[in-house]
Amino acid sequence: MQNLISNFNYVIVVILMMIGLWSMLAQKNLIKKCIGMAIFQTGIILFFISIGAKDNALIPILTEAANHTYHDPDVAKVANPLTQILMLTAIVVGVATLGVGLALAQKIYQQHSSFDEDEILENQRK
Amino acid sequence: MDFLGYILICAGLVFFLGTTIGLLRFPDFYTRMHAAGKGDTLSTVMILIGCICLSSTQVDGMELLLLALKILLIINFIFIGSPTATHAMMDAGNKAGAAPWIKDSK
Amino acid sequence: MSTLPIWQFDALLLIMVVLFAVVALSIRNLMGAAIVFGAYSFMMCLIWAGMGAVDVAFTEAAVGAGVSTVFVMSTLYNTGATMHRRTGGLAFKLFIGVVVTVAGVFLLSALPDLPAWGDPDSPVNAAVAPYYITHTIADAHVPNVVTSVLADYRGFDTLLETTVVFIACIAIYSILRVDKAKLETDEPAVVAAPRYDPGDSLIVRQASRFMVPFMQLFALYVIAHGHYSPGGGFQGGVILGASLILLAISFDLKFLLRQWSEKTLMMLVASGVFLYAAVGLACVFMGGNYLDYGELNSILPGERDMARSHGILLVEIGVGITVMFSMIAIHINLASNGRFDRGL
Repeated sequence: MQNLISNFNYVIVVILMMIGLWSMLAQKNLIKKCIGMAIFQTGIILFFISIGAKDNALIPILTEAANHTYHDPDVAKVANPLTQILMLTAIVVGVATLGVGLALAQKIYQQHSSFDEDEILENQRK
Repeated sequence: MDFLGYILICAGLVFFLGTTIGLLRFPDFYTRMHAAGKGDTLSTVMILIGCICLSSTQVDGMELLLLALKILLIINFIFIGSPTATHAMMDAGNKAGAAPWIKDSK
Repeated sequence: MSTLPIWQFDALLLIMVVLFAVVALSIRNLMGAAIVFGAYSFMMCLIWAGMGAVDVAFTEAAVGAGVSTVFVMSTLYNTGATMHRRTGGLAFKLFIGVVVTVAGVFLLSALPDLPAWGDPDSPVNAAVAPYYITHTIADAHVPNVVTSVLADYRGFDTLLETTVVFIACIAIYSILRVDKAKLETDEPAVVAAPRYDPGDSLIVRQASRFMVPFMQLFALYVIAHGHYSPGGGFQGGVILGASLILLAISFDLKFLLRQWSEKTLMMLVASGVFLYAAVGLACVFMGGNYLDYGELNSILPGERDMARSHGILLVEIGVGITVMFSMIAIHINLASNGRFDRGL
């Protein structure tokens, strides 16, 4: 129980991932599936960012001391930049994937006049 | 200056509360948009001016001037953009046929 | 509970994010679902800014809360299917719910082994990250550690990510684009004309005409200042793309296509990736490894570390160009269903 409270962010990450996964599997509407995929992706990004967070830490942009020289950074006081960089890539790739998913949904609507999975399958059998 | 910042931010929150109550309780699409558009803009502007006042205790001189200028630019764009968005939504609602609430009908 | 700054705020935002996700998925009106999804993205952006990830929050605000919502709205507007019909199949949904819960419990069973939230000595923070933080000024003279690692230490990742955005743009283009000459013969009739024509509004046109130059100026500032403040190529590119999408939405789509023709757009999408790869190749010609910007100090002013700083700037410009034109091209394709004639 103590773990549950102190690692609360991981619990939320798992809940978000499972909500996204349920939506991708169980919802019949194509747009809801795309939104579920996006929720799953942001859950993963939240996991990485919260792993890299540090207590009372500053942002990973070093401050200027005097005349274009910089302080030596105290590593324990600077938030981890490595996880942030990986997640920057993940966000942009996520929106590209969402765009492709929506384009496919539009094309399917053009053929079958419906976003609903059951109607599309019925239409295909005809 | 600190105290003025706190007062401004609290006033902004009070206006936000009014906006939310209006959004829930007004009977009609147009009146709700009216509450949302005005209250949102005013509260955001007040909170941002409060932020300028609060940051005057932490930074000084030239940095404070730059920071205040940046926040004033943000206020400028919110002041222009948010009422325009409200107008666009009301226009769209009108064209889509949302009927205004008349007092005697329910 | 570890002493994170303002942990109550973080905990409240985390709970609200879950609520927003559930609401976005259960709302029947799809346009409402798109808007709530935009609000969900914005909440995530606040959480990440609170945890110290300002670049990521900036990107999520621009991309998730801004451009993604517009993409979903364009799709819905085009097809006219805005209500999700109520379906049965409760047993199937319950079965999936059970499967998903079992998977969640399996994942949660690893909870005691994960590092505590905010621990500076966790394994994630111990290996390579301290090297990047302590050596970024000496190696590349760039105080924003995220930018220097993104474009310099891990430059290959960013090159391939830009290529992925380019490929997505081409994919959407090839899925949706229809040729006017074949319009009447092959494809079925236009999907659904919208129920009413939104028309033109003088106020919206003038307001957007005022805002677009400032948005573009700010986006150029974000790209150029990415070394010293949160920002960089992606964020600036998305804001530039959003400024042109604003023009397309408030005026007519044809207005945008008169300024930027289709051929120009697609060539410029490719030119950003080309610039990035060419910078890497120039380093090879100067005698170093691919994407080793330090070798460029013979043609760029300054020592090796300043040459790396300038190399990072060139590469960010390439990324900004590709992302900007990709966003516009994707929006035009989604909004006009590939016909490039009229749209949102």
